[in-house]
Amino acid sequence: MNLIAVAILAPLSATLLIMLLRRFPATLALLGAAIGLVGSLELLANAYNGLSQEIILPGLPGMPLRLVATPLTALLSTLVAVVCTLVMVYAVGYMKKDREQVRFFATLLLFAAAMQTLVLAGDWILLLSAWELIGLSSYLLIGFWYRKPGVKSAAMRAFLVTRSADLGLYVAVFILITNAGSSDIASTLNTSGGPAIAAGLLLLIAAMGKSAQTPLHDWLQRAMAGPTPVSALLHSATLVAAGAILLIRTAPMLAPETLLVIGIVGGVTTVVTGLIALAESDLKRMLAASTSSQYGLMLIAVGAGVPMAALLHLIAHAAIKSSLFLGAGVFQHSRDSTMLDKLQGVGRNQPKIFFGFALAALALAGIPPLSGFFSKDAIIAATLSSDHIWILLPLALAGTLLTGGYMARALRILWLKNGTSQPVSGLAWMGTGLGGLVLLAVILGAAFPGLELLLESALNIRLTENTITRFIPEILGLSAALGGLLLGWFFPVQVLLGPILPWAKRGFVVAGGFDNLMVRPALAIAHGCEKLERLLYKGVLATGRLGLRLGKAARRNDESGIDGMIFSFVRGTVNLGGKARTLQNGLIHKELAISTIASAVILVFMFIVLLTY
Amino acid sequence: MYPLVSITVFLPLLGALLVLSMRKAPTQVVHGIGITTSGLTLLGALQMWSRGVSETGFAQVEQIDWMPSIGAAYRVGVDGISLPLVLLSALLFFVTFIYSAKVRKQPHAFVALMLLLETASIGAFTALDGILFYVFFEVSLVSMYFMIAEWGHEDRQRAALMFFIYTFLGSLPLLLAILGLYLGSETYTFDMRAWISDPPLDGTAAMLALVAMLITFAVKTPVFPFHTWLPAAHVQAPAAGSVILAGVMLKFGTYGIIRFAYQMTPDAFRDAGLVILAFGVVAALYGAFAALAQSDLKRLVAYTSINHMGYIIVGVAIAALATEPAIRATALDGSVLQMVSHGLVTGALFMLVGMLQDRANTREMDQFGGLLKVVPILGWSFVLAAFASLGLPGLAHFPAEFQIFLATLQVEPIAIIVILGIVVTAGLYLRAIAQVFLGEVGEKWTTKTMPDLSVRELLALGPLLLLTIALGVAPAWVLDVIHKTTANWQF
Repeated sequence: MNLIAVAILAPLSATLLIMLLRRFPATLALLGAAIGLVGSLELLANAYNGLSQEIILPGLPGMPLRLVATPLTALLSTLVAVVCTLVMVYAVGYMKKDREQVRFFATLLLFAAAMQTLVLAGDWILLLSAWELIGLSSYLLIGFWYRKPGVKSAAMRAFLVTRSADLGLYVAVFILITNAGSSDIASTLNTSGGPAIAAGLLLLIAAMGKSAQTPLHDWLQRAMAGPTPVSALLHSATLVAAGAILLIRTAPMLAPETLLVIGIVGGVTTVVTGLIALAESDLKRMLAASTSSQYGLMLIAVGAGVPMAALLHLIAHAAIKSSLFLGAGVFQHSRDSTMLDKLQGVGRNQPKIFFGFALAALALAGIPPLSGFFSKDAIIAATLSSDHIWILLPLALAGTLLTGGYMARALRILWLKNGTSQPVSGLAWMGTGLGGLVLLAVILGAAFPGLELLLESALNIRLTENTITRFIPEILGLSAALGGLLLGWFFPVQVLLGPILPWAKRGFVVAGGFDNLMVRPALAIAHGCEKLERLLYKGVLATGRLGLRLGKAARRNDESGIDGMIFSFVRGTVNLGGKARTLQNGLIHKELAISTIASAVILVFMFIVLLTY
Repeated sequence: MYPLVSITVFLPLLGALLVLSMRKAPTQVVHGIGITTSGLTLLGALQMWSRGVSETGFAQVEQIDWMPSIGAAYRVGVDGISLPLVLLSALLFFVTFIYSAKVRKQPHAFVALMLLLETASIGAFTALDGILFYVFFEVSLVSMYFMIAEWGHEDRQRAALMFFIYTFLGSLPLLLAILGLYLGSETYTFDMRAWISDPPLDGTAAMLALVAMLITFAVKTPVFPFHTWLPAAHVQAPAAGSVILAGVMLKFGTYGIIRFAYQMTPDAFRDAGLVILAFGVVAALYGAFAALAQSDLKRLVAYTSINHMGYIIVGVAIAALATEPAIRATALDGSVLQMVSHGLVTGALFMLVGMLQDRANTREMDQFGGLLKVVPILGWSFVLAAFASLGLPGLAHFPAEFQIFLATLQVEPIAIIVILGIVVTAGLYLRAIAQVFLGEVGEKWTTKTMPDLSVRELLALGPLLLLTIALGVAPAWVLDVIHKTTANWQF
């Protein structure tokens, strides 16, 4: 059995089984995720031993569908499978009291299968398909509690914003296929010159939508309306990750001009959304803003020409951010809220969970020896080696500083002061899932040298040239992280942000954001079309009336000799004027009846001829 | 070998005669005859499918002299363009008969008319003779007129008339063009194969014939600004009529554009390619935006048809403008597949809207809310069909639109702006889903006032949804048939 098929089909068939049987959703989900994980792990082991696999399926004429397991795709597949499985374990506890577990787990597994397809895709059509399917499944998951206020608009916004940006991917794919004459991803990576720049910028637009980069970051915070395990998954290894994965995979064809734009977009995002996170008064929304900010750091790394650093941060962030969300979910259940002022001191009621949450927070800030330290260090090293060091380095450091700031602020609020919590059910399951992810967040750094070795050939770029240059980024990164932590812990946000606090709280919305810039114009055009529709309709009726007058004039001139066609037309317009009742007995009805019967007779005649033939 | 194509074409007519001869038969029997006849027709179409098409020209040709003095004969046959449409029509009629088994108003006339319409539809797609095509084309028109006028909704008379005037006046130019092609042909024949293999007209005559044909088929498709009959007709037509109108009859327009306009006046078509392309782009975008402004669910679906048919026009124009055979094949593959996809998806959507209207007696979206809780099967079916309609991968429209857009970028990069349509349709369908199915349930809607789908409705809807998925996941089984013809395209 092909391992690629296992990785994708295990979760997919679990979805189908859950929908058909409508029972044991949690068990089947765990089983599906676990089998998929085994498949992915074996793929990774094979890749480590230099074996790569491929599946070719019939697609469009001349453009078959491909799935490939290279070191890079196998690694990403493993990452997705690990996070999905642990989140699934957590979800068993989290969803214990929910009545719609069947729908929940079926959708979650569909999501996992689509994401596996995305990372393993070897041709553009399949990648584009998976790209859109994760959009669909996240729409369904964000809208899971569709009867709650605000949920439907959040789900809609998530799908619409990302789909608008997806147009970039569509056109980029068309350009790449046209240029290479093949839909195989590997062979399109040789694209160069104008098409490469155009395609690269279009890919960036698509990635900005999915990875929630400024100015398209707003939907991600609203997507918090979904269940917490969903957020944990969306923000770590799946939906949001797709954007960065796209740029990492296409890095070999990105032109220097494109890289600079990518780096600037990432840098602006990491600062803007970092400030939003700092100002946020809701824990989950804060984590969401932080996700955009961290993906901004990854884009900086891609822009600096070191996609490997972006990949390492993607992996570390996946474990860290899912841990943080899962911790937040437990806090949410103990206080029935995610507002920070309601969560004051919740850490004292759930000390074990808080410990895990704090470890993950420190990892995100970049404190050694936790995983985030190594990946952030790699990003800063990347900016040092870049041609645009004076643009990218300050932005990366600012992002790191802000990360420390908002994480310290959250830890402080969650720990200090006292509050009353309620007991949380399903804690064992939730604790297990969380524990596994926190463990990864802590130790993953140790695996990075091995991963670098494995991927060196795949990404074709070395991480660092020598150990001396590594010392500088370590110092820079650590100072920024510690500085951020101290600032966040000791200074209230009002002091830190000063006059820009209200603007940051509103998410730095410029000119009304997506609503004003995209939705309103679209609706205005739509209403314009509707007006034109009415006008056209009236125009047709007026033409009818004109015909009526002509007909009357003609009748005065020549009572008897009116062409049957004009007569029926005139009759028709009379009736269009509203005398529908007379139509019942009108001439046209009879004429039509006669012509129908006549035509039917012709057909019958033809039929008889056929029979006798 | 028995004349399979002719049997498939005329079987429904036989059923219609049977129904009319049994004036006293109870309603169930009448509907039973309808379902059985269309079921047998579907089997015939399936067998035609298994016989397949040939690499060049037409396959499964059957012909008999009819009016030898003027060169008109009974000629039928299929190629990769028409065979998928034959199967689609047979399937849509079959499920529509199942769906309409509830019709109590004059069931005899209803079933007979529907069967007549089925013969006309399959006949139009298989006809290889100009006169024969025109007869089938007109019969379908008149049958649909009665369908709307007799079994339609509140304002049906006006809508039926609008439909009739538009398409009747619209089809006169086609008659002129057919006469022109006849007079231009060397041997004075109505044989469409001869017109295709050796286009009879050139120069101004060809351009005039092209314009005439384009007018007819643009009204039928419909293309902006010839579309005003469509929303009116759809909204007033009974659900069964809407399914057939959108699923089968709109394809006469696009099929005609390929078969007549493109194949019989190829040079003129290529000269006018940019203009036709512009019409297609405008129609696709206009349809999408006009749909966005609708509050009536049925009107909304009707306008998205204009959008989807616009993509087909774009695809055909691109095929004509393309210089490389491979790109031309891609554009045509996409266009023909889009016809099939649109039939399945829009058929399902109109059926679903009909089911909602049967229960609620309204189509205004703001009257609903939270229905996913009340009618989960209906709701999820609508979600599936809506996502198919907005072009989600894995569902029927994606492979078709992907090919059309890909070829568009390769031939006329600027026309790729038509792709904006897929965002607008996404927006309008998500809004419709949110308004009708998500949120809090209105007090009016309980499981009593609004029961979920019955077995009959499931049987009618199920095949369409399953095929929507099948076509999206593995389009190859249809594309192989289409590609056989388009790969050897001579124009």
